[in-house]
Amino acid sequence: MSDIQEAMRSRAKELLESGEVNAVIGWEAGRFENQTTPLITSQAAKTQRLVFNEYCVNNLGKYPRDLTAKGKVAIFARGCESRAIIRLLSDEVIKRENVYIIGIGCPGMRDRTTGELLKKCAECRHGDPVIYDEMLGEPQAKPATQERFAEIQKIEALPRAEREAYFTNAFSKCIRCYACRNVCPCCTCRQCFVDQRREGWLGKQNNIAENRFYGLTRVMHVGDRCIECGECERVCPMDLPLMSLNRKVIYDINNLFGEYETALSLDEPPSALTTYKVDDVEEFM
Amino acid sequence: MSMVETTPGAWEPKIVAFCCHWCTYTGADLAGLNRMNYPANVRVLRIPCSGRMNPQYALDALNKGCDGVLVCGCHPGDCHYSTGNYFARRRMLVFKRLLEYQGLEPERFQVRWISGAEAGKFRDTVTEVVEQVRALGPLHLNHELVLSGMEVE
Repeated sequence: MSDIQEAMRSRAKELLESGEVNAVIGWEAGRFENQTTPLITSQAAKTQRLVFNEYCVNNLGKYPRDLTAKGKVAIFARGCESRAIIRLLSDEVIKRENVYIIGIGCPGMRDRTTGELLKKCAECRHGDPVIYDEMLGEPQAKPATQERFAEIQKIEALPRAEREAYFTNAFSKCIRCYACRNVCPCCTCRQCFVDQRREGWLGKQNNIAENRFYGLTRVMHVGDRCIECGECERVCPMDLPLMSLNRKVIYDINNLFGEYETALSLDEPPSALTTYKVDDVEEFM
Repeated sequence: MSMVETTPGAWEPKIVAFCCHWCTYTGADLAGLNRMNYPANVRVLRIPCSGRMNPQYALDALNKGCDGVLVCGCHPGDCHYSTGNYFARRRMLVFKRLLEYQGLEPERFQVRWISGAEAGKFRDTVTEVVEQVRALGPLHLNHELVLSGMEVE
């Protein structure tokens, strides 16, 4: 990984010095041991702070949204970043000419404290970038060590009352900090429904009913566009099982409307819930 | 509302029916014209098309004290806007499964296609849904309030 880190630094420096890009998005060492934090810089000298190791847990894929207004940005992209960028591109949030994608193969990232493979990385099926302008190092072709829908099937098999208790317990912990929304590359509405105070979708109270309203609505908003990067679950300070909700929608779309995985290339058909077939499953007669 | 809560103390289910303007709402109107009887537990709300049915409406209704939600629209192929109910069908298929997955009884959220001529089907559907929800009892989504002894209105 250290040779990739060196390549990252020199490539970022070249790009900034030549004026080809306005800013570079990567990771730098954090304040604590084995911690990294996103680095966004437009100064060539600061590229020496870039790091790449197995603790680069942040998905940088949403940052181009806030940065491309000022011009082209370069971003280091693993599988999850590249899919997030495809998400932003197909949602027409950013333009392809404004982002320069430097691909890196990903071996899976580890938790800072326990040293174990992150849950999102164990479930990840696309560790290598699916879109890039240039590639640093070799693709890793890391296999997923966890079945994609194992968690969903486990919860589905529970009796209804237990499922209700499980999710009521989860939503009772939610503090509605909206970290899951802020980090999500699918959540790119200019104004989110939770901020529409005058519409009154949600109050400022924190109770289970409104937490559930927020949680389920978010799933319906992003479900069919979810790139399964698992960032929502990773950033959740209360450790809610958010991917078990997101994946449930994907699981159903899979079963109802055919095999489905989004944001793998730029020329994809529209997402499953924004299209229809005349002979879709009918159970409402 | 007063029609339902006549007996003090007796619980009656509250159902919101989101009805498409062009089919089900007209069907409900026809049921009225034909002097059909159906339970007064149902509150009919008109939406322009079943494609306008925002999942947030259903969640909001359940949060604010309804015991069940019924979504009705034109039969697929008959939409006034040609394709609205095809989109609604996909969305509601997924949404219904999501609600059931996180613990809601399947009877509390139902979707039916009822045309403007099917007054009898409207009456039967409403009666059926009300009876199913009555059997389930009141819905308490806000467990916090229930646990602390405050009844949810």
